[in-house]
Amino acid sequence: MVKEKVKVINKSGLHLRPAGVLTEVARGCKSEVFLIKEDGTRVNPKSVLFLMGANITCGMEITVECSGMTEEEDLKAIIEAIKSGLNEE
Amino acid sequence: MKTIEVAKTTSSGIAIAKVYKVETVELVPSTYRISNVEDEIQKYKEAVQFVSAKIETLAKDNEIFAAHLELVNDVGLMEGVINKITMNEDNAELALDKTAQEFIMIFESMDNEYMRERVADINDIRNRLMTHLKGLKERDFGDLNEEAILVTKDLAPSDTAKLDLKYIKGFITELGGVTSHVSIMAKNMGLPALVGVQGIMEIIDDEDQIIMDAQKGIIIINPDEETRKHYQELEHKEQQEKELLEKIANLPAETKDGRKVKVCANVGCIEDVKNAVTKYIDGIGLFRSEFLYMENTQFPTEEEQFEAYKEAARLCEGEVIIRTLDIGGDKALPYYPFEQEENPFLGWRAIRISLEKQDLFKTQLRALLRASAFGEIWIMYPMIVSLEELHSAKALLETCKKELLQEGKAYDEHVKVGMMIETPASVMCVEAFAEEVDFFSIGTNDLTQYLLAVDRGNQHISSMYNSFHPAVMRAIAKVIKAGHKAGIPVGMCGEFASDIKAVPVLLGMGLDEYSVCAGEVAKIKAAIRQWDYKACEELAEKVIRAKGLNEVMALIEDVK
Repeated sequence: MVKEKVKVINKSGLHLRPAGVLTEVARGCKSEVFLIKEDGTRVNPKSVLFLMGANITCGMEITVECSGMTEEEDLKAIIEAIKSGLNEE
Repeated sequence: MKTIEVAKTTSSGIAIAKVYKVETVELVPSTYRISNVEDEIQKYKEAVQFVSAKIETLAKDNEIFAAHLELVNDVGLMEGVINKITMNEDNAELALDKTAQEFIMIFESMDNEYMRERVADINDIRNRLMTHLKGLKERDFGDLNEEAILVTKDLAPSDTAKLDLKYIKGFITELGGVTSHVSIMAKNMGLPALVGVQGIMEIIDDEDQIIMDAQKGIIIINPDEETRKHYQELEHKEQQEKELLEKIANLPAETKDGRKVKVCANVGCIEDVKNAVTKYIDGIGLFRSEFLYMENTQFPTEEEQFEAYKEAARLCEGEVIIRTLDIGGDKALPYYPFEQEENPFLGWRAIRISLEKQDLFKTQLRALLRASAFGEIWIMYPMIVSLEELHSAKALLETCKKELLQEGKAYDEHVKVGMMIETPASVMCVEAFAEEVDFFSIGTNDLTQYLLAVDRGNQHISSMYNSFHPAVMRAIAKVIKAGHKAGIPVGMCGEFASDIKAVPVLLGMGLDEYSVCAGEVAKIKAAIRQWDYKACEELAEKVIRAKGLNEVMALIEDVK
């Protein structure tokens, strides 16, 4: 298992469009992925419903956790995606 | 064979066709017990596959459906449903319902307006999946692909957008009154429609063969051969009459003894204008400007409005009477929340909004003025009740003219300005108004409702709505008289103008212009040509002296 912290920069947080982008990236990951909010809540980003329901807002620092054969490259892909704003603006 | 009699509507015509019924099913989860977990999970997965495939084709051109596609296949949704089937032995419908509700509750509690709106998306796919799980066929408005009479609970403008109108032979809805969207659309298309037919959804089944006679208000389900033949003949006759009308449509609206009047069209958008100008109209008697506000994501800019008005003026040879914004609490704007009113009909609407939101009004007036340089545009103010309102509006118009002059933008200095007569107040004070405007247009729809204190949409009392009521007859006569005394023309853009029975009395009162929907122009012109003005004048005099409605109706029916 590997993990890394990242800050969400999307102005309106993870609403439908960026959540959809993140979900797509997450689904492309073969390992198990979890986002962990500051309060400890664990969210499975492979579900856009789970992701949106988690109410991750702008400025929040979340921990991305990946476990599996491809965990390292998966972690990298997800961190990159979130850092770059998930195709928004 | 079963015959049903219904309340009449204002659209006529006969249709003989198969029913295309669109249900609004409740979709409550069934309570059956599952036989085994694996099979039930498989059943759900199969529903997901089916719905997913269906949405996929729609998703190609439509963002909303693309988002729905995501939701249908969502891992979280799938997990939730499978868990419940496995842990609780819930059946697939119940598991789906519970899971969807869980997500809905989370979203509904979020601070974010956008997230709360996603609840509608979740409900949508929940309903699609549920429909399939129940083995029901998903009857969408978009699935219509052969000639049919559409039968449904109600038809919203957004539903109409999905329909392929070329297949529709007629409309029957359970809800709705004569002013409803369906009635207006049917009239514009020249199709028979029966609305407000309570209980019809229980009586008619999908794919039933029916005959509808919108004029008589009759629906016949599964007609026998004899009845079918009879109606086919009637339909044929109707077709012939229609074609005959079209042949003489280009003749002027002139009575036998030479009195000429104008017959114009009521339109609600540029497409309507394009259609109307093919019907040999003398002009456009009412151009409803609301579409620019309603079919928009924000208030229309001056440029947007200018382009639309200019296009209308360009397309039409005669005058184009454009009514300024006439919306109110009963017609919401997606980008401007109106406050809830107890009585929107007597509320903040039309000219009241314009005079309060002067920036908005000026934008519209400027656009109208600029367009007046490109064709004959007449500006018309709705729902005026006091002289002061008229003065305020005229003052603003002058301000706009000065601004445009300074900016070097062209406009017609002598653009005609008039008002609708649709409130009792404007009738009572009509003489004062007549001196200050260039024309009147009588809005009989609202005027009749206000005068008789009747809500036309209220099915319990809607039969009381009758523009032949002496109060309305006298009001119309009074307005025309005052208008003529001041030397201005008086027209009518309310539905009463398209009532064949009203042609002689309105002619006799001196009405100068009939503005009707494009599909009715030929019919009204032909009717006018059949009458003698002298005889109509005599009729009008008798009608004005009539004491009650029955007396008026007797005079109307007997005249020849």
